[in-house]
Amino acid sequence: MPRDSHETKGLYAWFAEHPDEARRQFFEPAPGLSRRGFFAGAGLAAAGGLLGMTIPFYANMPRGLVPAAFASEDVLVGKDGLTLLNDRPINAETPAHLLDDAITPTSRHFIRNNGLPPEDADADGWTLAVDGLVDNPATLTIADLRAQFEVVTMALTIECGGNGRAFFDPPARGNQWTVGAVGCSEWTGVRLADVLKKAGVKPGAVYTAHYGADTHLSGKEGKLPISRGVPIAKAMTGNALIAFAMNGGPLHRQNGAPLRLAVPGWPGSCSQKWLTRIRIRDRVHDGPKMTGKSYRVPGYPVAPGDKVPKEDFEIIERMPVKSLVTSPQNGGAAGRRVEVRGHAWSGDRTVSAVDLSIDFGRSWMAAELDGPVNPGAWQNWRRTIAFPEAGYYEVWARATDSAGEMQPFAIDWNPKGYLNNTMHRVALRVA
Amino acid sequence: MRAALLLPACLAAAVAGAEEDIGLMAPGAGAWETLAACTPCHSERIVIQQGLRRGQWEEVLDEMVEEHEMEPMEESPREVILDYLAEHYGPERPNFPRR
Repeated sequence: MPRDSHETKGLYAWFAEHPDEARRQFFEPAPGLSRRGFFAGAGLAAAGGLLGMTIPFYANMPRGLVPAAFASEDVLVGKDGLTLLNDRPINAETPAHLLDDAITPTSRHFIRNNGLPPEDADADGWTLAVDGLVDNPATLTIADLRAQFEVVTMALTIECGGNGRAFFDPPARGNQWTVGAVGCSEWTGVRLADVLKKAGVKPGAVYTAHYGADTHLSGKEGKLPISRGVPIAKAMTGNALIAFAMNGGPLHRQNGAPLRLAVPGWPGSCSQKWLTRIRIRDRVHDGPKMTGKSYRVPGYPVAPGDKVPKEDFEIIERMPVKSLVTSPQNGGAAGRRVEVRGHAWSGDRTVSAVDLSIDFGRSWMAAELDGPVNPGAWQNWRRTIAFPEAGYYEVWARATDSAGEMQPFAIDWNPKGYLNNTMHRVALRVA
Repeated sequence: MRAALLLPACLAAAVAGAEEDIGLMAPGAGAWETLAACTPCHSERIVIQQGLRRGQWEEVLDEMVEEHEMEPMEESPREVILDYLAEHYGPERPNFPRR
């Protein structure tokens, strides 16, 4: 039985050493075969050849199966400890205790992809078009951006609109993010506002439209996986960046290298990755994932499980007030005195208080809360708690923002599973 | 490392042809058809995370055809696939992946 060893290791090594070639061999359709062919699989023959072995039933294997699984070893290169939700397209979140740093290291920033990243992500030669309803349309290289505009570095909180979806009941469709589709890295780039001012936004401009170089999963030429935008007023705030560096180094390939938007406080999908074009429009942008139910919630409260007519959905703008306990780790053991710490944020606002409870919400104590290092950054907080006796506790964290809004206990259910900002609960066994 | 532990067995099954290769899908009638229909474009990992009623799964398949370039399916695989998804990936989430 070819159960172990050489064959499997050979295939592994092949993927590890020649990932692009391996994927090409597995994924590309054989001549005359539709990519969508229901039973296609001839590309595996080449793989068999390269392996020096035959795969007698390879024709029965759906294309993509083996590479997708193997790719799961490969896709998170440069990331540390992330939980893989999906490997084609890649989606991965960071466990809460690995988000403990004040500034999220590149290796621990979550990944949310809608399509496949571009093969060629070379910074030299990369261009950004700025066009549409502007006086001076331009095509800019990254060197042009550096030369023509002030280069700034800001810590910016980016959170997926669907962070927390896993806790919806009945379940909501999509990647089942728990709490870790959020990060606050240092992004270096130029202000979107500065670039738009130089381009000269014409009267009547309503919305930006963002385009990236990622490709649709179907492989169809020219089909966009995602193209979203923001109202002009949001684009003109001083903390939305066109970023070409992350934490002082290059952007991670899965985080949009070499160029992306970093628009804090709004759904991460507003921060287009592999950015190639910003078009100014005289209406709300209608690219893929702007319309229908994508990144939208009903305009009124609904009961869990309710079906809501499409026209009653409204575009999500700012993300709601939220906090995360990053230490201690959920389910961990501790002594009687424990420093509890984490982050808190609220889109377009600041957080004014973080309160903690160890008695299931009966009483609350204030955490020490830092201000944001710049507008758009999350705020760090901490408090040392003395537990009255040994036993099982839950630490609950609840942030209140500058508009007086507080995190709820229960989910405000919506059909697509967005905006879950319920309190984060961490279990602790105190000895 | 999870994949590393998982794969040899899954690959061995395919190589030996001892049983149908159903990837990460829950075993059951229609598992293979579902894998074959979905994975040309995306991994089955997104499928196995879901907990949807049959009617919602119908909407998903319709959307894949209308918006994401999937070729319309004949009634026979479509019904088999819908039955499979509703049974194994319904709101009760009997097969929700452990993390």
